[in-house]
Amino acid sequence: MELIHFQLLAAILFSIGLYGVLARRSAVLILMSIELMLNAVNINIIGYASFGNFSNSFSAFGHVLIVFVITIAAAELALAIAILLRLYRNKSTVNVDEINILKG
Amino acid sequence: MITLLNTTAEYAWALPCFNVLAFILSIFLHRYITKKTIVISLGAIGLSFVWFMLILIDFISGGMDTILVDFDWIRIGDWVITWGFSVDRISIVMLGLITLVSLLVQAYSVEYMSGDSGISWYFGLQSFFVAAMLLLVIADNLLLLYFAWELVGLGSYLLIGFWYDRSSAAEAAKKAFITTRIGDVGLLIGIILLFKATGTFHISSIIHAATNGGIGEGTILLSSLLLFIGAMGKSAQFPLHVWLPDAMEGPTPVSALIHAATMVAAGVYLVSRMMPLFELVPAVLIVISSIGLFTFVFAGSIAMVMTDIKRILAYSTISHLGLMILVLGFGGVAAGLLHLVVHGISKALLFLGAGSVMHGMEEETRCEKMGGLLRKMPFTGVTFLIGALSLSGIVPLSGFFSKDEILVAILGAEVNEYWKITFLIATLGGVLLSSLYMARLYFLVFTGEARSEQADNAHESSLLITGPLVILALIAVLFGALVFPVPLWDGYAGFGDLIHQGHHLHFVIWLTFISLFLAIAGFALGWLMYGNEKISKMWFSKKIPWVYRLLCQKYYVDEVYQWAINRIVLPFARMVAQFDRVIINDTGIDGSGMSVIFSAVKIRVIQTGRLYNYGLGMALGGLLLIIVWWWL
Repeated sequence: MELIHFQLLAAILFSIGLYGVLARRSAVLILMSIELMLNAVNINIIGYASFGNFSNSFSAFGHVLIVFVITIAAAELALAIAILLRLYRNKSTVNVDEINILKG
Repeated sequence: MITLLNTTAEYAWALPCFNVLAFILSIFLHRYITKKTIVISLGAIGLSFVWFMLILIDFISGGMDTILVDFDWIRIGDWVITWGFSVDRISIVMLGLITLVSLLVQAYSVEYMSGDSGISWYFGLQSFFVAAMLLLVIADNLLLLYFAWELVGLGSYLLIGFWYDRSSAAEAAKKAFITTRIGDVGLLIGIILLFKATGTFHISSIIHAATNGGIGEGTILLSSLLLFIGAMGKSAQFPLHVWLPDAMEGPTPVSALIHAATMVAAGVYLVSRMMPLFELVPAVLIVISSIGLFTFVFAGSIAMVMTDIKRILAYSTISHLGLMILVLGFGGVAAGLLHLVVHGISKALLFLGAGSVMHGMEEETRCEKMGGLLRKMPFTGVTFLIGALSLSGIVPLSGFFSKDEILVAILGAEVNEYWKITFLIATLGGVLLSSLYMARLYFLVFTGEARSEQADNAHESSLLITGPLVILALIAVLFGALVFPVPLWDGYAGFGDLIHQGHHLHFVIWLTFISLFLAIAGFALGWLMYGNEKISKMWFSKKIPWVYRLLCQKYYVDEVYQWAINRIVLPFARMVAQFDRVIINDTGIDGSGMSVIFSAVKIRVIQTGRLYNYGLGMALGGLLLIIVWWWL
């Protein structure tokens, strides 16, 4: 296992996530794709933290950072799902094509 | 700074204050005490007259030195503009004329305007006008003088258009305002030029600077010409005279006050006041005297053929203003001001007399409908005759002395002999003309047969109308005596000395005889033509009909103006309006707004409101950043 493997995995996961965000129409699936991208970044960071050529303190900082990111991502996801529920109540749909009231 | 000497003359600025206060009071109170506002205005002008008397006494006891009172007006750093009220030899004369004539005219108006629904507005305006006029003559500051000058114009505009529901009055008011404004622009530019050259608005300082070479030759020439253009507008000199005859649309007492005695004198006053400046540039003096002479003869000849009583008087006023301007062009300030006062009194008398005639004739103004009024209106008739004789210059009335002084001033001027003789002969011709049309007016109106029903039923006006007439007639008779060193007060040495210390008016016997002969001949010829009709009054119009037609059409000056307005001013204005509409409005203002709307319409389509479009944009943007970062 080397740094490059982590980077490749992160790149693949990120691209899949990006594709999901751009191509899916369901808000739930978009949220899931965003999570995918977020975790791709996490993997990238943990790869650097474990295999990068850093001092110990920086290495530990990477590990701690991941814990924080996961925590905050969970909170943010809860918020996003709450918004999604309200949206569904109002619009009876979670299809983002139909939620375009911000258009010019 | 003001040094308190406790003299009334230091409070000359109170004169306009009284009247402007009366104006404000009558505007605010007329709803509650309609008729009593007359009392306010009359009280204010009466108080002003008494105040003037006190000032006069102070002025004489102070050795007739100029009394200057300054208050700070505008202060910018070290640089101060002060109000500058002064009482000097010229303004004391003007103050007397203005307060006296205004007092009499307002007393006259009480009866004349009674029954008019706008009477309190009328009296308020009278007070306003008098305030502006008094301010004009006591201002020693050109800026203040200019303000007063404009206020006088405004007062005149409002009073001419007093019967604003008549379209002719409204038109005449506009014409007067616009025509005098043309002159006012000249005056303003002249004042600014003088200010630029000297850094002060004070007349005395400017004159001091100019006579000591503190102002460049070119600036003096230009600014004095421009000041004279201002004077031409107000004093109705050719070619800016066209407003005065039309101004007769106003009430007759207004014509007497504004368009005979006071406002039209403002131009003459300005030129007299700035005389030391004008004397530095002989070329301008030549322009002044030429325009004065031309106006004198030109307007006098029109007065010969007019048939409306007020219009005859209006053209006569223009003509006599021309005479004053003419003599100022020869440096005769004393003679010019003497004639200003004499003419002011006589012409006010004539206008008020004309008003009395109109009052007795159901507002008829056409002379051909009058005739034989002397028997029916003895007071009006006799006083009118005195005014007419005075203006014709017949001894011993005051007009004789002033006209004589003017001729002597021309004779004594230090200019080219031929030039002087030409002017003298032309002026004498004008004198003949002037007594001829005065005789024509008098005999047409007051003698012969009554030529209409109204003339048959005419009646003398009440005492409030004839009273001022009699007073003015008395002054017109007696004022001539002031030319001599009568014992009016200790040290009075004649009118000439009052204006210019050491200047004594004198007679040149042969000239006096010629002018008196011409005046009497003119009046006698008038009597023969219009009085007992020994000479047909038609011979002139029959013999040279084209001249007669030219005169009746007032030399087509109005037509020329109309042509110029139609062919030059309006097309130019239309062009400017087109430029404003197309370039400024459509392209500049609307164009910039429309371009924003247009671009917004084009750009708004990229705001789809779809999340994935924005996401794609973000992703592509990120990719672009990566590529840029990578390659550069």
